[in-house]
Amino acid sequence: MGQGSILIIDDDPDITEAMTVILANRGYEVRSARDGSEGMERLKEARPDLIILDVMMRTSQEGFELSRELKHNKKYKDIPILMLTGVKQKTGLDFKADAGDESWLPVEEYLDKPVRPDILLAKVEDLLQKP
Amino acid sequence: MENLLTSPSLIQRAYWLIRLRWVAIATLVAATFVSHELMKVSLNASALYAFSIVLIVYNFVLYDLLRYWTWADKQPSPRRITEIVTFQISADLLILATIIHFSGGIENPFAFFFVFHMIIASILCSKRQSYLQATLAAFLFGGLAILEGGGVLPHHGLIGFAGHELYRNGTFIFGFLLVFTVTLYLVVYMTTSISEQLRLQQESLEKANTQLEEKDHVKNEYVLRVTHDIKGHLAAVQSCLDVVLNEMVGPLNEKQKDMVGRAHHRTTKCMEFVTALLKLTRMKLTGQLEREQFSLRKTLLGALALVQNRAQSKSITLHHHIDPAIDLIDGEAVLIEETVTNMLLNAVKYTPAGGSVGLEVKRDGTFVQVKITDTGIGVPPADLTRIFEEFYRADNARAAERDGTGLGLAFAKQVVERHGGQIWAENNPTGGSTFIFTLPAAKATAGGS
Repeated sequence: MGQGSILIIDDDPDITEAMTVILANRGYEVRSARDGSEGMERLKEARPDLIILDVMMRTSQEGFELSRELKHNKKYKDIPILMLTGVKQKTGLDFKADAGDESWLPVEEYLDKPVRPDILLAKVEDLLQKP
Repeated sequence: MENLLTSPSLIQRAYWLIRLRWVAIATLVAATFVSHELMKVSLNASALYAFSIVLIVYNFVLYDLLRYWTWADKQPSPRRITEIVTFQISADLLILATIIHFSGGIENPFAFFFVFHMIIASILCSKRQSYLQATLAAFLFGGLAILEGGGVLPHHGLIGFAGHELYRNGTFIFGFLLVFTVTLYLVVYMTTSISEQLRLQQESLEKANTQLEEKDHVKNEYVLRVTHDIKGHLAAVQSCLDVVLNEMVGPLNEKQKDMVGRAHHRTTKCMEFVTALLKLTRMKLTGQLEREQFSLRKTLLGALALVQNRAQSKSITLHHHIDPAIDLIDGEAVLIEETVTNMLLNAVKYTPAGGSVGLEVKRDGTFVQVKITDTGIGVPPADLTRIFEEFYRADNARAAERDGTGLGLAFAKQVVERHGGQIWAENNPTGGSTFIFTLPAAKATAGGS
């Protein structure tokens, strides 16, 4: 069984619910938030061991912006982030606009939606085991 | 732009004028020789031969100048090109007037050749410029006839051809020049009217074309938007079904498992379709390749490795031959790998168990040719080109595999064409089909083979 607490920040309630079931089944403690600001509130309530973050929420960049904010925050920068994208790295979205900045995608790992349960669990386990 | 023709074709026309001039010079020499030596017409042959030599030099100089201006695909400004063409036409009028002066003046029927220059000017130059050229021609020829008639310029008669007193006949000069001038202006009027009409047509066609491209762009953005939204919903459906199917919310009986499994399978297929459509549409919308030099050999071997398992499970032999001289090419490796992988998977999919699929890569001029051969069901001859259209699937392919997106080859075509290559399919005489595509070979490997 897995150990650790996970915060899911995703504006799709159904995907959030599915992931919550998958992760809770494995024994993780799961909380969720529907957008960036709610995510920050949950973060302040209790520090999670891992954040699962959707790229495209209200705006197509919200996930990115939040991840950048977190990684520049001394308190939270050590929390690993698993980014979920509806589209792979190579997309029509101009992700590369600020590619000159090394922190343009400062997340530990990312996965394409929909995430298969076995892959999600493997990645989560992997990220939580890292020192 | 007032011209009928756009700059690049105007340059070609400038070269065309030079080629025409070679013909004109040859005609001048031949006409002089025939009239002087064979028809025994008395004319100033030595002056005309000498003038031909001057013309040859002039034409060479002009050719060199033009080559210098357009060297290595240099594109002179439209203004400069117009100047070049205008200069050539004016100079030609002067040349023709000089030739006519030395060969009978107003008595020489070659005076009609001024009409050719009017036509050329009307096609290549603006309306105003064409009328100016007509005025110049009327002025040159008229001045010549009047000065010769008045005895100011010497008259080189064509004795043995025309009544050589005509050049001094005032009524004849007046009548001839009147008709001559009217003819020139009428020719310019008629030709410029037609060219203007053509120009307007060309403009409206270009406009229609631009509008079509804009509409296509809007359509693609619409498809992208819709497909993207559908994909979001599908992802949610699939995630929820995953949870149920994996019995994370309680055990399922066999029938429940079967039904949820079917739903899951269909959402997976739908997802594949939507993903393919998104990828293709994005490609059409942005179309920018992230070019770099990459090893085609490694990429192809990677694609073969990805397909190996699938081939093995169907007992299909996978063989390949890659010309050892071919390695680096220019392009986007990820896209090429995906394309070749898809094409190999297609070959495996439509080849019955026990068959074989081959990958062959060789040099073809300045291109690299990638050939994927199978011993499969082949393509109905009528469908050989249509299978590259979006959503089109050949009947036998549909019968063999119900769930196909019909987008794989359309994507392959996009990728190959973006790289500057071509893609096509052929049927093998011994059964099965061959899919071939070409990619421009990188310059670095040009000396390799």
